[in-house]
Amino acid sequence: MIIKLERIKLQTKKSEEAINITPRVEEAVGDSGVKNGIVNVLTLHTSSGLLVTEGIPCLEEDILTHFSRLFPEDENYHHRRYLDYDGRLGFNADTHLKSVIGGIQCMFPIEAGAIVKGSRQTIYFMEYDGPLERTYVIQILGEG
Amino acid sequence: MIDFHTHPVLIQELAGKYPNYRRMAREVFQIGNNFQPLETFFLQMDVAGIDKAVLLPVDCARARGDSVSSNEQVAELCAGSNRFIGFASVDPLKEGAGRELEHAIHQMGLRGLKLDASLQDFHPDDKKAFAIYETAESLRIPVLVHTGMSWAPETPLELGHPLLFEKAIRRFPKLNFILAHFAWPWVWEATAMALKYPNVYLDTSCLYYDSPKEFYQFVFSKQIPTTVIERSLRNKIVFGSNYPRVEIKNMVHALKTLGLTEGCMTRILKLTAERLLAVNAAAPELTG
Repeated sequence: MIIKLERIKLQTKKSEEAINITPRVEEAVGDSGVKNGIVNVLTLHTSSGLLVTEGIPCLEEDILTHFSRLFPEDENYHHRRYLDYDGRLGFNADTHLKSVIGGIQCMFPIEAGAIVKGSRQTIYFMEYDGPLERTYVIQILGEG
Repeated sequence: MIDFHTHPVLIQELAGKYPNYRRMAREVFQIGNNFQPLETFFLQMDVAGIDKAVLLPVDCARARGDSVSSNEQVAELCAGSNRFIGFASVDPLKEGAGRELEHAIHQMGLRGLKLDASLQDFHPDDKKAFAIYETAESLRIPVLVHTGMSWAPETPLELGHPLLFEKAIRRFPKLNFILAHFAWPWVWEATAMALKYPNVYLDTSCLYYDSPKEFYQFVFSKQIPTTVIERSLRNKIVFGSNYPRVEIKNMVHALKTLGLTEGCMTRILKLTAERLLAVNAAAPELTG
């Protein structure tokens, strides 16, 4: 049984953006030596997300636009107050809710050393509150 | 556009280089966010439309064990980018503070003085503080003083009252004072001082509850009328975010929701800061 975990740093450059990380996940799977198993991908931040959809710019834009319609910045959120553990105010409930609705992880099977996924399925790191340096994790489990 | 109030306290590169930097950020300044590469600072400025940022240290080593960034760290960051404008900080109660300030301005290239009486634990009326104001006046640099509430732990509110600086403001009429955080909650007092004294300015880096937009809407339309800013203080206010206690983009956005005229916004976001930072502080007054 092989278990490998990689922490990947990613510098986001905008307030919101969808970043295709599929090649990086495929590279990690290829390097792992796992022939049959699973790969999990997880963001470590609660104002970012990980999701899978067709990899085209119009959908990237639609996801961000309609998440913002669902969770407008100006809504009357409780999360607008001083957080003593942060030493600052938290007022980004909209970004947390986008993370909740869009999800923070994905999992794919590995077969014959390759990810099993649909030809149009693309793995996105979703930035909802950037720009920031972010970290996501790729964990691969399986037989060599 | 210029952000007149930022703190370089979460810079990953400095955290890796200076042993006490992490303790300073977590225990003295008390901020819990992740350390970020310097690139994030520039990107935060970019998404907010900010060209240059004033970096503010606080020399509170005597009172708190460590400084909240040092003059050396600020100078180091400024040497690496012309998007940064560095201020110095000295401890007024420390022997040789005046010479230290002169060194910071003449040798290190810093362009203003930052003082925080509550964090540095001195009284604004202390005769040693007056000696520092005198040095700053002779150097023709602006002094940005913390006023209002501070989130830093163990800092007394009373040392943040803006009227504590009135004697110094009257004694040094050629020294420009910027009262940080609009002195919240003493917003009327700060407004009165900016209205009365030609050498008093205010920065907008105030956020103490709700969201930036909600807070600005309350402070700048209900606590004081927006018309005071538009009509009377348009040349006496500089934009400040207080990054990283708040993201710069959110404070710029909040300011833009106040409905101020373009002329007033340009003064707050650019022209008044440029005038205060002019090497020769005798730059012409803005009119109208």
